[in-house]
Amino acid sequence: MRFDESGERSEGPLSRLDPRVSLALTVAFVVGVVATPPGSWRLLAAEGLGLAFAVGLSGAAPSSLARRWLGFVVPVGFLAAMVAPGHPARESLGVVGVALAILVKNSLAFTAMMVLAHIVPFRSLLAAMGRLGMPPLVVSTLQFMERQIHILGDELGRMVQARRSRTFRRSGRLDFGLMTGLIGILFLRSFERGERVHAAMLARGWDGTARTLDGADDR
Amino acid sequence: MHIPDAVLDPKVALATGLIAAGGLAYGLRTLRGRLGERTTVLMGSMAAFVFAAQMINFPVFVVPASGHLLGGVLAAVLLGPWAGAAVIAAVLLVQCFLFGDGGLTALGANFVNMGLIGSVGGYAIYEPIRRGIGGHRGVLIGAMAAAWFSVILSAGAFSVELAASGRWSTFSDVLGWMTLVHAAIGLGEALITGMVVRFLLLTRPDLFDDGQAAPTSAASRRWGIAAAALSVSLAVAVFLAPFASTNPDGLEFVGSEKVKFLAPQGQGANPPLPAPIPDYAMPGLSWSPSAATAAAGVVGTLVVFGVGLALGRGFVGGPGAKSVLSARGVEADAV
Repeated sequence: MRFDESGERSEGPLSRLDPRVSLALTVAFVVGVVATPPGSWRLLAAEGLGLAFAVGLSGAAPSSLARRWLGFVVPVGFLAAMVAPGHPARESLGVVGVALAILVKNSLAFTAMMVLAHIVPFRSLLAAMGRLGMPPLVVSTLQFMERQIHILGDELGRMVQARRSRTFRRSGRLDFGLMTGLIGILFLRSFERGERVHAAMLARGWDGTARTLDGADDR
Repeated sequence: MHIPDAVLDPKVALATGLIAAGGLAYGLRTLRGRLGERTTVLMGSMAAFVFAAQMINFPVFVVPASGHLLGGVLAAVLLGPWAGAAVIAAVLLVQCFLFGDGGLTALGANFVNMGLIGSVGGYAIYEPIRRGIGGHRGVLIGAMAAAWFSVILSAGAFSVELAASGRWSTFSDVLGWMTLVHAAIGLGEALITGMVVRFLLLTRPDLFDDGQAAPTSAASRRWGIAAAALSVSLAVAVFLAPFASTNPDGLEFVGSEKVKFLAPQGQGANPPLPAPIPDYAMPGLSWSPSAATAAAGVVGTLVVFGVGLALGRGFVGGPGAKSVLSARGVEADAV
């Protein structure tokens, strides 16, 4: 669970697309996969083949995609198995067929989203969303969230390390109290940091819109 | 908790998407008027907080699994209902677009379940209980009860969405299983929320005083009580609905189907339930999710309020109580 925004991403030709085009294509692909009728395996296979080309062009490492997919497939597969008995297509496909269709569709949609996250940095994705009509309040909230999340993640890592180094023996009860305290402290630090950042930004003339020098965020 | 793609019918996905967009637009307008441009910075850091807090795993005692805070009610209690919902929306967007967690086409349904019902609905339960009990104890018990009921209500909403995209004949059974599983999740959420709120009440009680000082008209108070009564009765209805099933055969059939699916999964890292095999049933009583669900509802509600009372023991209930430490001092002097 890391934001892979560092410079070591391998780039492919797809990275040069306008982020708006990538976003629209991904959304269209996911909607198309979801709208595929449950019985038509050939259509799903064709969509999977198209996605495989996109993966190849994106430069994303298939091994890392597969690793993420492994973490994704267990809960979704379980939910698909739970949902399948009540699905309308159960008579024609059987429970296993329906569950398999749900799982395959989700895997395709998941891979498409991962490819999008790989070829478009999150900042550019947000700018594209803003230009495509997402409310500015949501876009700037997400921008601040993205900046804070690295800091808070590091903060959390330090807190967990400090806790480990001070509690040699762990018992369940002790853990529970400590961890709620951890969440409380994390809240206080992020709340106070948010207030400080806001005050500092006001002092620099912030009026509610973010501006950047490279123009990636302009709307 | 996150609904993936292709589980909901397109019509249901579209309808929940429209409800979510409308609710978010209304909430954002409310926020813009109240907080101004301060909103984005604070909500950004709060969304980052909820995201980070969800990474802290709690051991679950009974089964070898771990759970984490969901945070909808916690955000609503600390920031207000609509800011809480907007924070959840930001978290859901990041989880969907960066981690593929929760389907793109189910984003609306997820926001309705966790943002609108979780935060706004949770706040509607929290506020009257807080005002009715009063003081810090009211904050604590209100937050815990809201966390518990909001998880149950979210599960109920998911059941409705699932039934609307499948067959209504399985509705009562799906509802029974969903509430049964989420009764356990809701207990964990209530416990974590309560302990975090207790920690914050002890260290920064001023964070909670803003809301108490806000002027409230009699009309809004009446609406709040009405909304809370509605939510609580909805939660009760969720528990009682399986009893009203008119199709016991289908219910038992699908129940046995589910048991077959559950049994091989029981050894995994994420066992959903102790396998409901007949050995556990009382003599003369065949297993049914309804009875267990209703029992889980009653027991869970009692446990939440009991733990809330125990955690709030040190707090003084009166509205004049400023901080816990001074209140304790007064108590000690009186003794």
